[in-house]
Amino acid sequence: MSDFITEADGLETQEFILNLGPQHPSTHGVYRARLIMDGETVISAENKVGYLHRGIEKLAEGITYAQFTPYTTRFDYVAGALQPWAWCLALEKLGNIVVPERAEYLRVIVGELQRIASHLVMLGSIVLDFSAITPWTYVFNAREDISDLLEAVSGSRLLVNYFVNGGVNADLPEGWIPKVEKALDSMLKRLDDFDRMVSGNEIFVGRTKGIAVVSAEEAIEYGITGASLRASGLTFDLRKDSPYSIYDRLDFEVQSMPAGDSFDRYYVRLLEIRESAKMVRQALKQLPAGDIRAKVAKVWRPAPGEAYAAIEAARGIMGYQVVSDGTVKPYRVHMRSPSFCNIGIIPAKAPGLTLQDFIAFIASLDFVLGDIDR
Amino acid sequence: MVGFLTTIFNWAQGILGLPATSLADALPWWDILWAFIYFVGAVILLIINVIMLIWIERRAAGFFQERVGPNRVGPLGLLQTVNDTIKLLGKEWIMPAAADKLIYLIAPLLIVTISVTMYGLLPYGPGITPVTLNVGILFFLAISSVNTLSVLMAGWGSNNKYSLLGGMRTVAQIISYEIPMALSIIGIVMITGSLDLGTIASSQAHVWNVFIQPVAFVIFVISALAELTKSPFDMTEAEQEFVAGYHTEYSGIRFTLFFMGEYANLFSMSALGVVLFFGGANGPFLPPWVWFIGKTYVFILFMLWIRWTFLRIRVDKMMKFNWKVLIPISLANLLLTGVGIKIWQAATGAIKW
Amino acid sequence: MYGLGLLKGLGVSLKRFWMPKITQKYPEVQPDLPQRSKGSFKYDKDTCTSCELCSMACPNGVIKVEWHKDESGKKRLDRYRMNLGHCLFCGLCVEACPTTPKSIDFKTDFALGCWRKEDIYRIWTKSYPAAEAVAPVMAPAATGSPAAAGSAGGASGSTGVASGAPEGGN
Repeated sequence: MSDFITEADGLETQEFILNLGPQHPSTHGVYRARLIMDGETVISAENKVGYLHRGIEKLAEGITYAQFTPYTTRFDYVAGALQPWAWCLALEKLGNIVVPERAEYLRVIVGELQRIASHLVMLGSIVLDFSAITPWTYVFNAREDISDLLEAVSGSRLLVNYFVNGGVNADLPEGWIPKVEKALDSMLKRLDDFDRMVSGNEIFVGRTKGIAVVSAEEAIEYGITGASLRASGLTFDLRKDSPYSIYDRLDFEVQSMPAGDSFDRYYVRLLEIRESAKMVRQALKQLPAGDIRAKVAKVWRPAPGEAYAAIEAARGIMGYQVVSDGTVKPYRVHMRSPSFCNIGIIPAKAPGLTLQDFIAFIASLDFVLGDIDR
Repeated sequence: MVGFLTTIFNWAQGILGLPATSLADALPWWDILWAFIYFVGAVILLIINVIMLIWIERRAAGFFQERVGPNRVGPLGLLQTVNDTIKLLGKEWIMPAAADKLIYLIAPLLIVTISVTMYGLLPYGPGITPVTLNVGILFFLAISSVNTLSVLMAGWGSNNKYSLLGGMRTVAQIISYEIPMALSIIGIVMITGSLDLGTIASSQAHVWNVFIQPVAFVIFVISALAELTKSPFDMTEAEQEFVAGYHTEYSGIRFTLFFMGEYANLFSMSALGVVLFFGGANGPFLPPWVWFIGKTYVFILFMLWIRWTFLRIRVDKMMKFNWKVLIPISLANLLLTGVGIKIWQAATGAIKW
Repeated sequence: MYGLGLLKGLGVSLKRFWMPKITQKYPEVQPDLPQRSKGSFKYDKDTCTSCELCSMACPNGVIKVEWHKDESGKKRLDRYRMNLGHCLFCGLCVEACPTTPKSIDFKTDFALGCWRKEDIYRIWTKSYPAAEAVAPVMAPAATGSPAAAGSAGGASGSTGVASGAPEGGN
């Protein structure tokens, strides 16, 4: 809109500061952007984070390895089940623990279900930022089915504390596998409706295509990972490029979109949901019998040393660096959280966007404040 | 309305002892009484309508979204709105310390006043039009654009950046979309040859205007949605961007008034649509006012269907759509209508070449 | 393009308008929760050995076990207190419990809402016959209602129904 009024017309406009957040309906938590605005156009943006800081890295130094596992679900609370995976991988590296095969499969199944649930939340919340409440309900209803499955297997719907050091903490309940098939079917049906309603919608396409284009080079420079990276035409995925667990035994394709705009960041997640559903079905077919948990001492003291492990979480690469000094408690824990690294691009891409596009842009990056602030 | 004003004028003349123009009916209590009855009727209709509309909107929204909507208070949840209103009335009035007090306080009153005025103009049926104006449509459009003022007042008076941005957007939006709306209505006026809402309604006894002017109807629906600031044109409130837009800083009864005004406008705008395109109160078997209200509610449901499906459009695109798409189309439609009328007149022998 | 996507969307929402709804009428129809659902806790004070493994396993210090030693040197439970306000519902305490069946376990009763802040505590007290009760007598529990505490020990205690109001205060 700014191109209509110029200073040559003698009309002077005044820039003003808009504090978008921390209490704002569409900043997905307590994220705050300090925007300098010229009318509706963003001139510059600044990330302000830390409103949800809980000091969990420090907290980890005061409790045992096992006790920290449930805390890890609290970072990216939208994809709760995936978070302990990276932590447990780091611990298993630290203590040279071999996870039983069945446990690996269970981890993949639960992890992929959680990834579906997390991406469904993203799809719902990006359209919600366009004030489309009806499609939002479709994907959230679809997510309910997934949550029911996670609850049946782990007891929790949101903060799924299922992965433990050395495996998983419970076997599948009876009659769970047919339920998965049914839930995936109904989820995909709802997703198709959502897709038909939103992806072809001229208003949605007009508002997201070509907005905040992140090129592949920029995405790499800014350290963007996960689906937001794959929307820029790259096919980097830890599940394929450095397979952990049993991902190398599954037949799947890394989804990517070429343009790197808000629409592609949205659509690549839709594609990933369908791919994850396929992976769950494959893993259920291959599921072997056997142990679900390696023998780990109750009072577990790993040898002094450090370990780093990373997984492809729902929002990108989630990594844990653990330092052990040989006692029951970690000496130092540090995590690389994908949301924190992904929002670095916001100040670079915000100038020139309108406020509405800015909202759509931050929604398409799909960050979670628990993951940013820790 | 005009009759009412003359009556008051005459009455005042009589009391002041001035030479009376028509002292034969010196004290026309009857007229004043009727005007009062119409006023009370309009207010009651407005309140009942708002209660029903909010219930309908919430139920319909629920059904679109795989849920059932309010269903607890009263039969089928009908009293939910009453419940909510009582709750809102009991809430604290919070006024920002730096607000422009007078403007801040007047804005919610203005929006409801305008809505009541619009209710007085609608032809609910033959003989039950509260105020018959021979320039009814003009007056309706003029009054409804005063809404802009109240929204701008609220946005400015609140002294809040979100409110101000929301208010500014609304002004730009409503003023722009009034043009295609008026242009779409002019086609109807050309066909009917009258600006009176009652005449337009009764002229569609055989064929509804929606079949004669389909393009105008589509333009009318789009611009009516924009006028009402309903999705996909809900820039005013845009909670994802502006928290609650112009009424961010309002609470309690003042917020209720804004809410009421919004839904009252939804009804009056739909009623205008029914009068213009769906034959107003015409219909067999049932009494005319039943037809009128029924058609209006169907029209409202149609608007809700659109509202609950679409996403919000971007402000500049909305403007572009208005000036570059809607207005040219409506002008072309107008031209076609004029040519069509002439051809029709020639065909039926009304004019000779 | 040109509005086709919009019309498709209208079709989808109209289709969903007529489809069955998923709303559950909650208080009348209780949800059918899976067996493992972590709603709240049940505690069996008769099988509990006061070993305190649960309170040691807890990452947040939710659980406090109070006990005394009787004449033979055996641990006798007095009071078992959980502060659900700090609970992560991670299940480490349940995992740590050595008794079979587990003294502390999850149940699917998930309605944890309460009016008063002190109701957030789950407290199970165990009282002994007067001749047996030795050292630390809980003053409020004693003055509260011995009858209630006694009956709780027998009937409701075995199922561990704490349900809001703490038995005998805290």
